[in-house]
Amino acid sequence: MTVRSAAGIVAPARRERLNPLTLLAAAGSTAVMTTAAASWALSLAVAAACLGLSVAGGTARRLLPAAAAVLVPLGLSLLVLHGLFFPEGRTVLAEWGPARITAEGLGFAVQRILLLAAVVLALLVFSFSVSVPDLVAALSAKGVQGRFAFVLASTLTLLPAIAARAERIRQAQESRGLVVSRRLLSRAAAFRLQAVPLVLSLVEDAATRATALESRGFSAAGPRTSYREVADSRTQRILRIVLVLAAVAAIVVRVVPAGAGA
Amino acid sequence: MSSPSLTLASQERPVRRRLLEILGALAIAATYIYLVLNQPTDITGGPGSASALVALSGFLAGAVLLIIAVLPTLPASTLVLIPVALVLNIVLGQFVGSTLVPFYLDAIGTVLIAVLAGPAAGAATGALSSIVWSFFNPTVLPFAAGAALIGCLAGLAARYGLFRRFYLAPVAGFITGIIAGVVSAPVAAFVFGGTSGVATGAIVSAFRAMGDTLLAAITKQALLSDPMDKAIVFTIVALLVYALPRRTSQQFPFIRRHRVLAGKDQARKDQAAPGTGHTETPAPGTAPGTGLNG
Repeated sequence: MTVRSAAGIVAPARRERLNPLTLLAAAGSTAVMTTAAASWALSLAVAAACLGLSVAGGTARRLLPAAAAVLVPLGLSLLVLHGLFFPEGRTVLAEWGPARITAEGLGFAVQRILLLAAVVLALLVFSFSVSVPDLVAALSAKGVQGRFAFVLASTLTLLPAIAARAERIRQAQESRGLVVSRRLLSRAAAFRLQAVPLVLSLVEDAATRATALESRGFSAAGPRTSYREVADSRTQRILRIVLVLAAVAAIVVRVVPAGAGA
Repeated sequence: MSSPSLTLASQERPVRRRLLEILGALAIAATYIYLVLNQPTDITGGPGSASALVALSGFLAGAVLLIIAVLPTLPASTLVLIPVALVLNIVLGQFVGSTLVPFYLDAIGTVLIAVLAGPAAGAATGALSSIVWSFFNPTVLPFAAGAALIGCLAGLAARYGLFRRFYLAPVAGFITGIIAGVVSAPVAAFVFGGTSGVATGAIVSAFRAMGDTLLAAITKQALLSDPMDKAIVFTIVALLVYALPRRTSQQFPFIRRHRVLAGKDQARKDQAAPGTGHTETPAPGTAPGTGLNG
């Protein structure tokens, strides 16, 4: 699942007009403000808006499975946890032994799930619609360490490649007679037979890559020239500042009274 | 990988870096203390409360400061390993998750880097891992500080020789798990209001049924599963590092300087040639970064 979505992320996205940093600021401040507002109506609206955006942007087919993989177990866990056991709850709807279904518990769980769904969807809409090369170029143009951009881009491109290599190693070991049975010991042995060659070859590869990068001035100081132009405009720059300020204001408004009250 | 840097190292001001590191650690510690002291009034105050925001911004800011402080000091040989480690976290974690049931084992790459390249590299890898992973699973983002802590503690364990014997590694992992679990519990409690897995959620439910507060229940659950999880991860990493050929593992200055795998090396040295002194000398070109790694 993760691997497939990574392959999707690396594929160039369709929308090229917006600067990736504007998208990032929008997603981040949406997430922060939704958390700060903590109202189920806003959470629901944000989640619906994100779904609408991803359908409009054509990323819904890849985004929905990824979001479901995150949200379904989380939601189930929260429902069981707070729905059945919420000692603070007063309104008891049903009771079996130690488990009590309380209205407060259910409300707490549903509210939390809606909030998390809104935040997760907002951030996923960003990561599934942004083009990683553009993001990397925009980050370097802003003076962010080229090294961070390297780690981000390299991970996202390596993920499918390494997953494919792990698969090849598994096939090779199976063709040599590796049979994974149900017993724990046999599974551990199978894990070792696949992990050791994988890690070995990856560390060796990294050594080669380090030499290649070093010989091209990877650690050298000084400005770099980027061949990739990322669209940006005055409006977007102002928009980004406004978004960041709004997010900071939301945090301050929410945290300061709580801190003073405690 | 001990090949000296072919370009001149940039003249960074180490004081500023050290300051950023300290600030990052302080942000994480202060956030944790604030959350633990503030929790009783907050949890029934509804979701999305101030604590969630404090946990998110404090832990994230700390993790980002650590990355900014450490990343420029790492030699290229360590830096190229970080993406590999992040992918290992994801791929091996998934593989184990689908075969061996009860644990998540999503820190194998982080601990591997920490053992090969030291606590600073481990901390940066842990934090980066959470940030990059959040591209497809945003719920791991708030755990960046916990992941950085795991990387740092694993590096310290390696430095003080706990990876020299295979039976010491799980002990170090167990202790790391206790600390990491206690630090990560407020994130789970305040940001998520529970845990992300159904199995761990069941354990929390059991403690809640006994009348614990949410933070207490989640901390107890973390104390049950995290130490075991990290003990397994440390053991796996120890076995992986022992399986690396000596040529590969001795490429890392951190391993040579602190004799991370001395037990194994001693045995090999006894067999082969006594007194191979050249393995102790650090690589000349890696000097600017190794002050932190050591």
